[in-house]
Amino acid sequence: MRFADGSEPAVLRLGLANLYIVPSGFGWLWLGAAALLLVVAVQTQANGPLLLALMLVALMLLALPLTHRNLEGLELRCGQPPPGPAEGPLAYPLQLRLRRPCQGLRLAWADGTALGPLHLTAGTHGLTLSWWPPGRGLHRPGRLRIEVRAPLGLFVCWSRWSPPAPQWVWPRRRPGPVAEQPQPTALGGAAAPAREGSADWHDLRPHRPEEGPARLAWPLLARGRGRHTKVFRDPEARTVLLAPAPQLHLEEALEHLSHRLQLLEARGETYGLALGDGRSLAPGRGRQHLQAALIALAQWP
Amino acid sequence: MALTLPTRALAWCTEALLLVSLPGLDPSQPLSWALLALVLAAALKLLEARRPGERRLVALLQVIAIGLLATLRSDLAGSLLQLATLLGAITALVALDGPAAPAQRLLRRSLALLMAALPLALLPFVLLPRLEPFGQRRGPLAGGTARIGLSDSLEPGAIDRLANEDAPAARVVFAAAPPPATQRYWRVLVHEHFDGRRWRPGSAAAPLGVAAGRVSQLWLVEPAPLLEVPWDGQGAPAAAQPDLQTTARGELRSRRPPTQRRHYRLAEATAAGGAAWRRQPPTPLTLSLPRGGEPRLEALAATWARLPTPEQRLAAAEAWFRRQPFRYSLSPGALPQRGGLDTFLFERRVGFCGHYASAFTALMRAAGVPARVVSGYRGGSWVRSLGGSAYLDLRQSDAHAWSEVWLPRQGWVRVDPTQWIRADSPAPAAPALLTWWQRQWWGLDVAWTRWWLGFDRQEQEALLRRWLGERRTAVGWLLLALMGGLLPLLLALLRLGGRGEGGDPGRQLLARALAPLANLGLAPAPGETLAAFGQRATAARPDLAQPLAALVGSYDRLRFAPLSPARRRARWQRLRWAARRLRRAAAASDSPASGRR
Repeated sequence: MRFADGSEPAVLRLGLANLYIVPSGFGWLWLGAAALLLVVAVQTQANGPLLLALMLVALMLLALPLTHRNLEGLELRCGQPPPGPAEGPLAYPLQLRLRRPCQGLRLAWADGTALGPLHLTAGTHGLTLSWWPPGRGLHRPGRLRIEVRAPLGLFVCWSRWSPPAPQWVWPRRRPGPVAEQPQPTALGGAAAPAREGSADWHDLRPHRPEEGPARLAWPLLARGRGRHTKVFRDPEARTVLLAPAPQLHLEEALEHLSHRLQLLEARGETYGLALGDGRSLAPGRGRQHLQAALIALAQWP
Repeated sequence: MALTLPTRALAWCTEALLLVSLPGLDPSQPLSWALLALVLAAALKLLEARRPGERRLVALLQVIAIGLLATLRSDLAGSLLQLATLLGAITALVALDGPAAPAQRLLRRSLALLMAALPLALLPFVLLPRLEPFGQRRGPLAGGTARIGLSDSLEPGAIDRLANEDAPAARVVFAAAPPPATQRYWRVLVHEHFDGRRWRPGSAAAPLGVAAGRVSQLWLVEPAPLLEVPWDGQGAPAAAQPDLQTTARGELRSRRPPTQRRHYRLAEATAAGGAAWRRQPPTPLTLSLPRGGEPRLEALAATWARLPTPEQRLAAAEAWFRRQPFRYSLSPGALPQRGGLDTFLFERRVGFCGHYASAFTALMRAAGVPARVVSGYRGGSWVRSLGGSAYLDLRQSDAHAWSEVWLPRQGWVRVDPTQWIRADSPAPAAPALLTWWQRQWWGLDVAWTRWWLGFDRQEQEALLRRWLGERRTAVGWLLLALMGGLLPLLLALLRLGGRGEGGDPGRQLLARALAPLANLGLAPAPGETLAAFGQRATAARPDLAQPLAALVGSYDRLRFAPLSPARRRARWQRLRWAARRLRRAAAASDSPASGRR
């Protein structure tokens, strides 16, 4: 088996060549108990403890191939890891294919983040593992330890694999200043003409019964000022081209930018990115545009 | 309804089984205290155990406790209880590493593991030569105390009332017919030293080597405070029992710890060696009697002493006992410190076997006839067990004392003066139903003990000699070869037995059928229905459309359509056929020759 030499296979198939098995701590205690019972049996010349000591050894003999067989033939392959923020654990998809049921499967990254024990039936299973990225950029989650101890916990059978599919990680969100370059709107001015919306109301007009109670200005009615209907209007969305605040450290500025991008997307505004060197991400809206902008932040030089 | 027990509950069940086994253990045994400490430690650990590793430790403590228990209790009931406890501990371990499953399935899985391990354990159990105890003296062990049984001294005058203890003492299986009821005297201790009130064995008797013939009796003796064990005084220890020897006084002494259940085989003695102890001449101790302590006894004996032969003195004594109005009673009251035998013989005339044997032996000694008191058992109930061998059941209430006198032409002769007097105890009642069941169980217990305890170091030696003869040095290779051959076979059996435990068989078949599609980049997404996956796979690989449609249709009909058992079987066949067809089609599509990869 190759240990993190940068040439990890895309599909890992576990077998004799890459599976390792050693007695667990409990397995050593088990052997100690067998030895103790053997001493008792010799000293008392009793058959009961002698047979029990031999049973413990026999169970250990059986557990060795059974534990190994639990993992043998298991196939792991990477899914398509979606990009995610650096501020929390990321979901890393894996696909497992089993020829036979596997009990007590545990998957753990090198940092200790683990999933399991899992009891899987034969067939194909999709799993999502969490891992903590070190920062923005294109990262691999590192070394994955695949282990089982079933059926009796006497042996630990394990293998290691570094899933090769990388995952984009964009900067974490942090409110703060960003550099803005307002873009001219379609009407040609920076003034924001109103459009129908529902964020807040800005005017009142006499209430008509067919309008129902939803838009009725209840506070005015309570003060005895008659029935009025609230008129809602949102400000016209602006179009801005964003860039990292030049006075800040780049990583901090990118974090502010990440926050601002997601804020603008939530508000439905149109935004673009000035990437430097005269390049830019054209203004736009929507999830795909946001993801493209965030990945641009992730790979910011 | 299937019961799903949490692993913690399983561990508590095992602990309860251990607790059930504890009552009745001998507190004088250090192992009993070690066992108690282990059971307590396991319970306390279980109370605070949260992680699987801690619960595994509890199971291991319980397994060690079972091992100690097996040392202390080897009877059939105890062994069955230990087996159930072991099954509980292994089930708790299996449940820790597996999915939540009904208790029945977990038990089945654990039982399969134990059954697979048993042949692997039995091979070295039978073949591996056993070690002798390290650092133990090969000789009589310090006598421990025990719950019941005879004691090494006899002082009938100090006993106000004899408890009629009905606890088991021993069981005997005979190769041939048992001796007639009048001949059932089972000697244990011979008391030669008398201080006027108490009888003791005297100095240690020399061992007596007697050649043994065919095995005729198997004895199973409950724990007792003596190294001496009961026997009929006729035969000899069977061959290959160095722990057992006869003495010149006619005792059978075992070197096994008296606090353990002991078992041994007796053989018919050869003609030359039969009852050699009977011909051992008397020691001066067998004539000694504190003079002046019992004046009326001595006066009576002096009249017999004038008779010329010991046989005549014995006959005179029997005639005298038969003439006197003696009565048998288990509650005769205590006798005075001085002149106790005089009070018994000439005033009260009420007592049990110890009084009669003691008084008669003292009279014989005073009359100049060497005599001694023997304690042991008399009688016993012959039990024909349905499930095991017929056996003679000896109880503590069968404990008895009699005398032996030295007649120069016959050697030591048994005389039972209690037989000369009238008994006032009621005849034993017919066995009640409970007693009948109890005796049947004991019969099974005898059969178990005969097989289980009988296979000791000597028996193993004899077996290996029979099987391998001079090639015994090859036993290691034989063991390795047998275990090497057995292990793959047992693993295959375990796999075969566990095939039905992977969950729903329909799901397993479906998973096996769809597995080859993964090579083509087609696998059901989490949450995707089979029908949706079929459509997606068909769109991606139109060449698999037909087998996929057949598989999806068969599976859906088997799963959701109301079917009679016959139709269900037919649907199963269809599903298997569809699965096979899809696997073949996927394999053909995946092959390089197809050019579609």
